[in-house]
Amino acid sequence: MGSSQISNNIRTLRFFNDEMTQEELAKKVGVTRQTIIAIEKAKYSPSLELAFRIAYVFEVPLEEVFTFDPEDEPVK
Amino acid sequence: MSFQEKNITASLVSFSLILVIFLISILVMVQGDNFTSTNVFRLWGIVIVLAIVATILLTIFTHIVSAIVSAIAHYIKTGDENPEIEDIEHIADERDKLIDLKGTRVTYGVSSIGVFLAMLTFVFGQPALVMFTLLIFAGVLAQVVGDISRLILYRRGF
Repeated sequence: MGSSQISNNIRTLRFFNDEMTQEELAKKVGVTRQTIIAIEKAKYSPSLELAFRIAYVFEVPLEEVFTFDPEDEPVK
Repeated sequence: MSFQEKNITASLVSFSLILVIFLISILVMVQGDNFTSTNVFRLWGIVIVLAIVATILLTIFTHIVSAIVSAIAHYIKTGDENPEIEDIEHIADERDKLIDLKGTRVTYGVSSIGVFLAMLTFVFGQPALVMFTLLIFAGVLAQVVGDISRLILYRRGF
């Protein structure tokens, strides 16, 4: 709990999109700013739909926003 | 702290107060040899009414206060005196709904354990009053634990 195997580049993408604020991104994808903060800090893995929405806002493929690292998989 | 977190905190405070009132009342009843069915069922009624009234009032209060604060913040930020409803309204998104669901699961879990323990008192030959007292105690405690788990999920993430 707390850490995620899914990392993201939202902070960088926001920077390269005219320093888009978290509030602006949140409004564009239809969630609260707190959810964007949680996603950026990898404290929350968004639904597939929200992930696509975020990628759509930045006009990049999903893989450029989110990356999955199986190496970080917890030992079972 | 988001609107949802403020709402949960307000609920946590009110249900904790109800729990304290309940425990003090039970303690006073037991110490004064007034642990009778009439008193216990009156306390049941008081706790349930308090819980319903507190929930309704808190929901109204937090919505009004938060809308006013949001409208003022929006005015300071943009200078717009007539904000759109989306600017001050707090709609629960997918994360809020998921956290609420997880919190509800914890509430049901605690509540179920409480009901089981309450039923177990019969096995040990305790009177029905003990069972009824434990039932309402478990109900309020479950709400408190559920609210705490929601707050933890908001803070820690999942």
